[in-house]
Formats: sequence, C-alpha cells, structure tokens
Amino acid sequence: MTSFSQVYAALRKKNIKQYALLAGCCFFSVLLITAYVCMMRSPTILNVLPEGGDSRKQVMMIFVLAVLGCGIFTTYASGLFFRHKSRETGIFMALGASRRQLKGLLTRELALLSFASCAAGAVLGAPLAWLIWRLFRLLLVDTEDMPLSFDPQAYLFALAFSVFVIAMLFIMLSRFIRRTNIIDVVNESRKSEPIREVPRRYGPMGIALLVGGGLLGYLTPSFFINVLHWYPPEGLTSITYLPALIGLYLLLLHTVVNGWRQGKNRYKHIIISSMMKFQGRQTVRNMLVITVLVTGAYFASFYTPMLGTGAMMGFDSRKVDYAFHYRSDQDMPGKDEIERMAAEENVTITSYASQPAAILGIDGQKYIETRGSLGVTYTHEYTELLSSGPFLSESAFNALTGDSLNIAPGVVMAVFDDEGNSNYWMSNDVTLITNPVTSEVLHVASSEQVLSNTMLFGRRVLDDTDYARITEGLTDEWLEEQVFFNVNNVSDTYNFAKRLFYTTTDRSSPEVEVYDSWDPVAKMLADQAGEDYVYDKEYLAENGIDAIDYRQRDSSNFRMFWKYMPQFRVLDKADFIKTTAVFLMLFIFIAIICFAAVIVIAYTRSLTIGLTNAQVYDDLRRLGASNSYLLKTVKGQISKVYFTPIFTGTVIIYAFYAMIMYFNDGGNLSGSELAGMANCLVLIAAGSALLYGVYRFTLRKVCGILNIQC
Amino acid sequence: MLAVENLKKSYHANKTTYEVLKGISLAVDKGEFVAVMGPSGSGKTTLLNCISCYIPADSGSIRLDNIELAALQEFELAEVRIRRLGFVFQDYLLLDGLTVRDNIMLPRIIGGKTDKGMEDATDRLCEVFGISPIKDKFPAEISGGEKQRTAVARALINNPLLILADEPTGNLDSKSSRKVINTFVQARDSLGATIFMVTHDSFAASFCDRVIILRDGTVWRELSRLDKMRGAFHDELLEAIRLMGEANGE
Repeated sequence: MTSFSQVYAALRKKNIKQYALLAGCCFFSVLLITAYVCMMRSPTILNVLPEGGDSRKQVMMIFVLAVLGCGIFTTYASGLFFRHKSRETGIFMALGASRRQLKGLLTRELALLSFASCAAGAVLGAPLAWLIWRLFRLLLVDTEDMPLSFDPQAYLFALAFSVFVIAMLFIMLSRFIRRTNIIDVVNESRKSEPIREVPRRYGPMGIALLVGGGLLGYLTPSFFINVLHWYPPEGLTSITYLPALIGLYLLLLHTVVNGWRQGKNRYKHIIISSMMKFQGRQTVRNMLVITVLVTGAYFASFYTPMLGTGAMMGFDSRKVDYAFHYRSDQDMPGKDEIERMAAEENVTITSYASQPAAILGIDGQKYIETRGSLGVTYTHEYTELLSSGPFLSESAFNALTGDSLNIAPGVVMAVFDDEGNSNYWMSNDVTLITNPVTSEVLHVASSEQVLSNTMLFGRRVLDDTDYARITEGLTDEWLEEQVFFNVNNVSDTYNFAKRLFYTTTDRSSPEVEVYDSWDPVAKMLADQAGEDYVYDKEYLAENGIDAIDYRQRDSSNFRMFWKYMPQFRVLDKADFIKTTAVFLMLFIFIAIICFAAVIVIAYTRSLTIGLTNAQVYDDLRRLGASNSYLLKTVKGQISKVYFTPIFTGTVIIYAFYAMIMYFNDGGNLSGSELAGMANCLVLIAAGSALLYGVYRFTLRKVCGILNIQC
Repeated sequence: MLAVENLKKSYHANKTTYEVLKGISLAVDKGEFVAVMGPSGSGKTTLLNCISCYIPADSGSIRLDNIELAALQEFELAEVRIRRLGFVFQDYLLLDGLTVRDNIMLPRIIGGKTDKGMEDATDRLCEVFGISPIKDKFPAEISGGEKQRTAVARALINNPLLILADEPTGNLDSKSSRKVINTFVQARDSLGATIFMVTHDSFAASFCDRVIILRDGTVWRELSRLDKMRGAFHDELLEAIRLMGEANGE
C-alpha cells in the first residue's frame, strides 16, 4: 500500500456495507421519485385527471409527502454514513492529514457514489413506472386510455431531486470536514444522541393535537369558503394541518423516549427503551417519515375500494336496467327500433317508458368572485335567470317511476338520490322558472320535501298544469326525452347495451357533443353578453383541455362526462374498471411507490440497529444475557420501528377517511360508504400482512448480523 | 524541544466557565521521557490535546522546536503533526480495515513519503517491538498490548521530534502495560525518541526521567528520577500522590 487512495480503497472494501447502504438509499429515493413524477406528469394521466380537480390535488399532495419522506430519509442515510466515516477521518486528522487532503478523497468517493446511484435511479425510474403500468395492463385491465407516454419535463423534476440529494450530501460533507475538534470527530461514531427530557404529557397532548389538528385542517377550508366567503390560497389551508403534524411528532417522541409502559414493565423493557432513546432524534424522524408515507400509501389504496364499492352498489341498486335521455331534435331510436334491436340480440324488453322533459331557466345566487392579494373572495347576487335545469311533469315522473305523486300548483320538487342526498350543484331553492324561448316566467315555491330517485337525480318536478304552461313554445333543442326500460336477464345483455350505446353516439349531432357541465342557458347568457363560454369546444381547445369527442366514446373522459351518457347497468358494470382504469391504476401505482418507500426506510433503519449496536449486544452477551432475551430486545426495537408508525399512520388515515365520508354527506355515512370502508379494512389487513412479512424478513436479517438465533 | 508557557484553557457549559488549565508552564528536552500525572479533572488530557493542537488553547504559548504552534494555520498544523509529532492513544485508534503493517505505515502514506525505505523502516520497527509475527494481521485479530505496540511503532515511523502518548496503558493489563512501557523505553534508548506521556499509572510513570504532577490546572510538583532505582522512584511518586491526597483533604 503506497498511496492514500489505496488506504481509502482498503477501508472502503472493509466498510462496503456502509457505502452500499448510502448508495442504496440514494438510488431508491431517486428511483421512486422519478417513477412517481414520470407517472404524475405523464400525458396519459394528465388527460384523465381534471385540471384543478381533487384527484390531481391528491396525487400532488402524496407526491409532496413522498418527496419530503425520501428527502428526510436520504439525509438520515447520509448522516449515518458520515457518522461511520468519522472515526477513520478523525484518526487521519490526528495523524496529520490535512482537511484539504481528506476533502479531496471524500469528494471523489462521494461524487462517484452519489452520481452513479442517482443516475441509476433517474435512468431506471421511467422504466420502472412503465413496467408496473405494463403489468397492470397485462394482468388487470387494458383500455385505449392506458398506453403510457412520458413527458420529458418529468425528468426535470427527477433531475431536481437528484441535485437535491447530491447537494445535500456535499453540504454535509463540507460541514463534516470543517469540524475542528479532532477528538470530537474521532468520538462521533460512539456518541449517543439523547433527546432531552420528554414530559409524559406529550403522549396525550400529541393525540389531542393530532385529532384536533385533523379536524381543524379538514374543516377550516369549509369555514373560510362558507362563512368568510373566501377561497384562501391552498398553502394557507395546508398550514392548518400543522398542529396535527406537531401532534404526530409529540406522540412518536413520547412513544420512543418514554414509552407507554409504566411500573414493573418499565424495567422489563429497559434495554429496548434505552437503546431506542439514545438514537432518539433519528428514530423519531424516521418514524415520522414512515407514518406520513403509510398515510399516503393507504390514502391512495383506499381510492379503488371506495370508488369500486360505491359504483358497484350504485349499479346494483338502480331501479331500471336501461336509462337514457336525449335532446328532442336528435334522431334517436324510438321504442320500435330499440325492440327490434333487442330482438336481434335475443334480449327481451319487459317494461318500457319514455317521457318528455324540458330544459328551463332557473333563478339562483350568482357567485361574483374578486381576486385580491389574499386570494379570491366572493359575494352572492340573486339572479332571476342564472342557469338551466331539466324539468318533468308530475305525470311524466309517475310514468317513469310508477309513483303516484301529486304536486300542488306553484310548487316545485327537486329529485335527489335514493338516500335523499344531494351534491354541490343540486339544490331545492328554485323560486323562479323561465322559459328560455318565450321568456315566460313561473313563480314557484320549492318544496322542503325532496324526491328520492338516483336515476332522475338533478331533475325537478312540476304540477302538470304548471309544466304545460311554462314549457309552451319551447323548441326541440330545449326539450328532451327520458327513456327507462327493463330487460330479462340483464347480465346477458352486454352486446345489446353496447350496440344501443354506440347507436346513440352515432346518431347524436355535434351540437350535443358536450360535457355534462355544459349549460344551454349559461351559454345563451354568455353569447348575449358577448363573452366566451367556458365549456364551448373552441374555448376548451384554446385552453388545452380535451373536448368531448364521439370518436373516443370508450374513453374514461367520454364515459364519465358526456352530457347524454346513457346509464345501462350491464354496460356500466362490465366497463367500470375500463372506464376508470387510469384513475384506479394511478392510485394503485402511488400506493405501491409509497409502500416501497416505507419498506426501504423501515428495513434500512432496522439494519442500522444491527450495525450500530453490535458492541452493545456483545456486552449484553458477556453479562449473561440469553439468546431469548437478546432476541426479545431486537424484536422490541424492530417492532417499534415497524409497528408504531405503521399502526399510527393506518389509524390516522382510516379515521381521516371516515371523517371525510361523514362530512361529505353533511353528517352521515351512506350504505355504500360503509361498505367501502369495510373493504378498506380488508385492504388494511392485506397491507398489514405484507408489512408483517417484511418485518419478519428484517428481523431475521438483523438477528443474523448480531449472531442471535431466531 | 517543547516549551509550554502560561497555557490557559477553559470550557463553557450551561453558561458556566470551567477553567481547566490555569497557566501551565513546562519544558521537555530532546531524548527525555516525561510523564504527566494528576487526578481526574486536573487537566492532563486537555494539556496533551492542546500540545497536539487537537484543541486550541485560550492563551499562552506552545513552542515545538522553536515553532510557535498557536500561530500556525490549519494546514501548517497538519504538517507539524505529520512531520514532527507522533501520537499514541489510550484506545489505540488503529484502522480496522488495515493490517498492522499498513497501520504503521499510515503516517508516511498520509505525508506522501512512500519509498522503499518506508517498508524497511516499518519492518525494522516491527522487529524492535516484537510484532513481526503479527504484522499481516488486522487489529481485530491481535491483543490490546500488541495493538498499543503497533500504535507506538506507528508514532515512530516518521522519526518525529516528540511522541505524545495519552494514557497508553489505560486499557491494558499489567503484563501488557509493562511491554508497552518497555517499548517506549526502547524507543528512547535505541531511537533517541522524546516522549511526553499522560498517565494515571504510577508504575508506568516510574520508568520516566521526569514526572510532572498537575493539580487543578496547575503544575503542583515535578519529580526527577536522576539516577534513582525505578522502585525507589516509584515509592517517591506514591508518596507525592499521597501528599496531594492529603492536601485535597482526602
């Protein structure tokens, strides 16, 4: 051995595990973030996630959590590396090596390690995303929406994250090498990092802050919007979750430092708790990251069972097998043609009802938004003609539903879903109805009692006389036909359903090739005012938003958002996965990435318990500790690393999800939501089983390092 | 060779200042084997760390071969450590990934003086200190005494002006301690080394030419062996320690 580089090479060979650990952490962090960002920025995904929509926000929110988690984790891994490097560096310094000399060697080593691992992660990130997506397409579902394309800009994010990892490593190196007290540097690897005294009240305080902060964070935006009439910047509402995060930190801190056991048990677990305690700060930080990632992973995982259960229950509970509506000026198949088509497909129609509906203008509160320095505020202004809505006469409603409704003249009744719930755009406060052709108006009182029928959700029903009067003079473009029919053996009628769906799109004119939010009255008012209408094809194209397109009638965008999309039970049920494939697969993908990050972090953290405590275990063995006692102390520590954050994260996200479901419907849980939550429990059981498997594997590895039989 | 004058050093913890060295002055001549003794907290290790330039002194002067160490830049201090000083630590500070031979050569490698002479010098030192049979072994495979003799050989590889040893027998049994002290004596006698050793061990100190006893950050007494027998000098040291205990009210 004749050069300092050779000395370094020999030491590197000896400590290859430390290098592998750091390189592995950098690689995995960059790999996972690159895969995530490639998917998130993929045009395939962006075409499906509406801009400004909740799904895109959720994807972004989990991405931020993943970036924070991976960032903190790589910082931890780097700290661990320098801690291990400190002894030899201190010896070199003590023997007379200059800082410049050491910095040069360490810089070369770290540059090679960090560039290679980050480059490998960044290069393999996109293929990983592609591979997972390909597996989804191969094993689960494949639709015309699903071919994956990548946006080169995604690599800018991957590059930025890699730059962060490399920069962080070099900043830590610079701080490490600048340390002047050689004795401290030598002793660094043996130094414990005890947390200051943690009062026992931190435990209950943490739980209280977590619960209170979660409620505060969730309810504050509603308070701002509904009470203060203010859409605050998203950053501001996110801050309201801060108490919850502080609560989580206090809770984990108390768990690690004090533990929840008191009395005799305190002594029984003294080795476990004291070993955890003296790696306090790092342990708590790691647990915090794991907790946050577990919440992200389950949040994404819950998407599929919640959506799937709700949709499947919705399809099953429909009161008719086939329902569709169309504008009266469209050349749609009538009863005879549909029956003929059914006969050709060996389908027997058992009941058939077709009733007219009208699109009328309604009054309401116009929201006037003002953009200011603190975000957007709004005021209400009553407007006699605000938008449109579909109306039925009471006899049409009765003919379609079989009810015997009798509405008093001058009263309008709104139709909500089967459970009597509404949504943000459907209300029962209409007082003035306008015929958009003749401008005739009808003053009405909205009935406090609402009608429940999911198949006719969003319609309003009038007394026959009122209906006849107000719809007089309407041209065909303001009139609709609502068709309901049932068939024998509905589950065997997929081909017929598809043929009928294709027929309706084939015969629909470009005038009705519109989103469900397209409102003819709003369009008319915009035209009169000489303004752009935001749902016009031209406006959408100018703003880079895909319009509804008959040529893509099997796409999720079309199936979910076409204004005249039929509701055919067999078609919707069979094509549900296909229709929502991109959404479902994206969230499954995110869950996989988050779970992978959780596993890598928990595994690495546990391995360091083995690597850093080997001496302590030798001492305990010399003091007469039996194999079973040593095994118990290892189990105690590793189970804490795994189970405390995983349990905490799981409970938090499940409670949070339940809260969202509860408040979504104005304070109750619907049957489909309860069923969805039950399915989420099944998913939690599966996730927990997987993580338990990883825990067992980790335990065996650590026991191997510490020469403990397990 | 080494002249320390009015050296002061204090530490600050929790808003309290602890004065550890309160103006120490001492000198070590070439070829001299000097020990520094004193109770815990008397400032022995701090004094050694200041002389080693591992920690900066608050005031005072440390001159090594007429070079004022306090005035040197960091890279110049590194140069002094590599060319003029040799170090022996209580817990050896050998690198586990290097063999005994490589550990001994380390100061030469760091200093870039890697000629054929380096290997010869290493083998010679191994021979002198009786560690030739283990020179290809790793630190984990040898005893504490062997580790410390390796550390002494490492300290001597660059022919330093001064060897600074911090409790070199602190982790060793009496047999190994004896061997390590013999190594120092051998280094002084056959290689002309100058040694400055901090120790708790009066037996180890009794092999030295001179013993400086510290108390509360000041030099309390200096004892010279002169031509006394080692046993008699050891008794003298024990008596001094007893007196200091009495003075401390123990």
